[in-house]
Amino acid sequence: MDYTATLISAMLALATPIIGGLLMGVDRKLTARMQERVGPPLAQPFYDALKLWGKAPMISSGLQPVLAFGYLGFALVAAGLVTFRQDLLLVLFVTGIADICLTVAAFNAKSPYSYLGGRREFLAMLSYEPVMLLAYIAIFLVTGSFTIRGIYEYGAPLLLVLPTAVAAMMIVLVIEMKKSPFDVSGSGHAHQELVRGVFTEFSGYTMALIELGHWTKLATTLMIISLFWAPNPLVGAGISLTMFFAALLVDNLYPRLTWQRMLRTTWTVGFALILVNVAALAAGGVI
Amino acid sequence: MYTETLIAVNIGLPVVSALASLVLSDRRARAGVVYLTAAVLVVSSLLLYNVGGLELNLGGGFEIAVVALDFALLLYFMYQGFMYRSWQVLALSLAQLIPVAYFEFIVEGAHVEKILVVDNLSILLTLIINIVGSLVVIYALSYMEEHEHHLHLERSRQGRFFFYMLLLLGAMNGLVYSNSLYWLYFFWEVTTLCCYELIRHDGTEEAQGNALLALWMGLIGGVAFVAAMFVGYNAVHSIALTEMMAAPLSQGLLLVFALAALAAFTKSAQFPFHSWLLGAMVAPTPVSALLHSSTMVNAGVYMLLRIAPVVQGTTLTYIVAFMGAVTFTVTSVLAIRQRVSKRILAFSTIGNLGLITLCIGLNTGLSYGAAVTLLAFHSVAKGLLFMGAGVVENKIGSRDIDDWEGLLGRLPLTTAVMIAGMVSMFLPPFGMLLGKWVAVDAVASTPLLYGLPLVFLVVLGSGATTFYYAKWIGYLTVLPNGAKMSAERLETPYRVALYTLLGVNVLISVGAALVLSNIVNPITAASYTPQMSTPMGGVDLGFTSFPVLPLWAAGAAVLLIGSWLAKMKGGAITTPYLSGENVADKEVTFMTTGDSEVAANMSGTYLASSIDEEWLDRLAVYLGTAIIVALFIAEVV
Repeated sequence: MDYTATLISAMLALATPIIGGLLMGVDRKLTARMQERVGPPLAQPFYDALKLWGKAPMISSGLQPVLAFGYLGFALVAAGLVTFRQDLLLVLFVTGIADICLTVAAFNAKSPYSYLGGRREFLAMLSYEPVMLLAYIAIFLVTGSFTIRGIYEYGAPLLLVLPTAVAAMMIVLVIEMKKSPFDVSGSGHAHQELVRGVFTEFSGYTMALIELGHWTKLATTLMIISLFWAPNPLVGAGISLTMFFAALLVDNLYPRLTWQRMLRTTWTVGFALILVNVAALAAGGVI
Repeated sequence: MYTETLIAVNIGLPVVSALASLVLSDRRARAGVVYLTAAVLVVSSLLLYNVGGLELNLGGGFEIAVVALDFALLLYFMYQGFMYRSWQVLALSLAQLIPVAYFEFIVEGAHVEKILVVDNLSILLTLIINIVGSLVVIYALSYMEEHEHHLHLERSRQGRFFFYMLLLLGAMNGLVYSNSLYWLYFFWEVTTLCCYELIRHDGTEEAQGNALLALWMGLIGGVAFVAAMFVGYNAVHSIALTEMMAAPLSQGLLLVFALAALAAFTKSAQFPFHSWLLGAMVAPTPVSALLHSSTMVNAGVYMLLRIAPVVQGTTLTYIVAFMGAVTFTVTSVLAIRQRVSKRILAFSTIGNLGLITLCIGLNTGLSYGAAVTLLAFHSVAKGLLFMGAGVVENKIGSRDIDDWEGLLGRLPLTTAVMIAGMVSMFLPPFGMLLGKWVAVDAVASTPLLYGLPLVFLVVLGSGATTFYYAKWIGYLTVLPNGAKMSAERLETPYRVALYTLLGVNVLISVGAALVLSNIVNPITAASYTPQMSTPMGGVDLGFTSFPVLPLWAAGAAVLLIGSWLAKMKGGAITTPYLSGENVADKEVTFMTTGDSEVAANMSGTYLASSIDEEWLDRLAVYLGTAIIVALFIAEVV
């Protein structure tokens, strides 16, 4: 990889939190419009984060800030793996470290709410990580490579051969974004039973770090989804944005389900969507 | 002569030291023997690695001694079976005694030219046995002191304990060097004996019962070996493994390898033989640490690694792969359900061995490399975890992980070691994850028709593995508000064993590329084309790559910046939000709306309502049995 390309990849990785933050602004604006409110300005998430950063620091233990930064840090490493066109499995595993930093930080405070949120976040991971892994394996079966470079070299749009696998990624996206019906671990709308779930015990700068990490992860996932139309990045971005808007729509249409329903949905519908796709390709002699 | 001496040291020294620790009644003298043995074994395994393999013919005296000891062993097993009214033990020992006598004296087929053959695979196993195994024995010095202190024994039984621990190391080394099926069988039976004696060490009724279970399951492997000797001798007129592997694959030889696979399943606790390894946890923890990391269970996968190259493309190898996949997935799900620390670790061992078995069964250069990688890294990480679990158990007196809540505040050193061990089991950039990554690549690369079910099982198992380790880590780090961490006192043997193994664990993970290029690839190269190249300290498979060093650098950077930030911004430690008025100066109690004081209580996540353990266990036994039946039907048809 030459010098400029390296620079672009690095810049892109560092820009993921900003892209994610803007998308969160879009989310708040659109959700407000769906609920017939005006909604905050687009840059509101950034104002919020800045304000949080300046608040008087309060922590649950000395470990919490390290883990909060670990969430952001490893999310950035995962983003870097994507922009440098590395192995998708590694992206998944490194994102896993980020998630574990978040959940362990939540467990770190002896609070029932953050504990409950942390446990549900683990369940969320148990729900969507295997689906993502299976989707990546489906990509491997088509392209012969687990690397993002391999997807680019494959040339043809993956969406055309893996349509239902993309649909499975939709479920993953909803869980990742912590949107209804799968916002079980840290919903913004479940104060009575969860307070703020996995986020309850973060405040000030640790909360800001967690927000940044969340944005980074969102942007990374959307970048991965855009790979389903790798030959033309604009179409790819269009696909991931469409799915992002669909997730917002679903969020406003459906009530929250239990974690059992979430697990059952991904482990049945999610798996089935990918397996059926692969079976069809095998039967058709494509792979 | 030099190499011969090293071989003699690796087999002989543990036996001599075992006898010495049986005779010595002084605690310090025994500790001295253990330290010295460990040091010599570590050095001699490294030297052996340096000089490489050899083939060895031994004089007739050794052969006679092995025959005599073997009969003594079988008679002892029968005596045990008779004493404890175990018809399985009696019948299975008898089923070996008579055929072995017939084979030895009537057929006279036991003589082999090359009795011992040491190759790269044996050397890797020796490295694991001598380094990890020795550290576990050192660890046991502290553990057994505390253990006997808790039991209030009048007379120490440690002499007996260390005898069998050390003997097991010697027997394992003998096992991995044996080329004669008869010698292999003999050492196999010695490991079964050590396992039996160590499990029943505490002498309780439960210990005796579980020891008998382990014994008769182990003896099934012995019977399989005896049968393999007959069939193999019939096919190639020799019971040398090298001869059998060199001969063209015939129906008879396939049956030999199927029998060897059956024996391997018993040792590696694959379904339906998993119950003995779960039962083995009644023994003092060093026993579990030894069985699960460096000895016993590795004997099974060693056997499979040995025979795999010659059964490429047969039905047999696919059945082995399927067995591994089923074991991996079901045990990983069952591990979620467990609350007893050693039981979680036991399920994790069985599961990881299943993954290794799966890789061996796939039987390609890539999957074989994955299997060897997993074997090496698993033994180190699992040794660490069991030793940590043992320390915790002795210090807080509970194996229930619900009682381990917030252990990081109470036993920070041990808990940190355990967390490091857990992280190295399932997260990058550690070696186990590298192995799993190669394994996923290997499974995904197999033809789809049988590859797809295996892929699916691996995906489910991996998800469950992440879940049960991650929630455990989370639970250990719950820190009650204001709790001060104060380092616990760890006795010297504990520190030596835990810190050394932790160091080894990190070193081999950072230097994973070196491990792969210098140890794993040469082993693979004996029968396959190795697929893992190691440019720039990373691992490259051609179609994808794992940048080991950049990942370590990134991980270290994240932790460093995080710590710096935590120092810079700091913050006052505050009470958690409990949705009520927190009661002052109590850790986590709060006033409810009904004006009563309630302590916030949490308990672990075991998905008890979603996972039916009994049902899954029964499924495991049925499936395992069905797979083994399929294994033999496939050879006959």
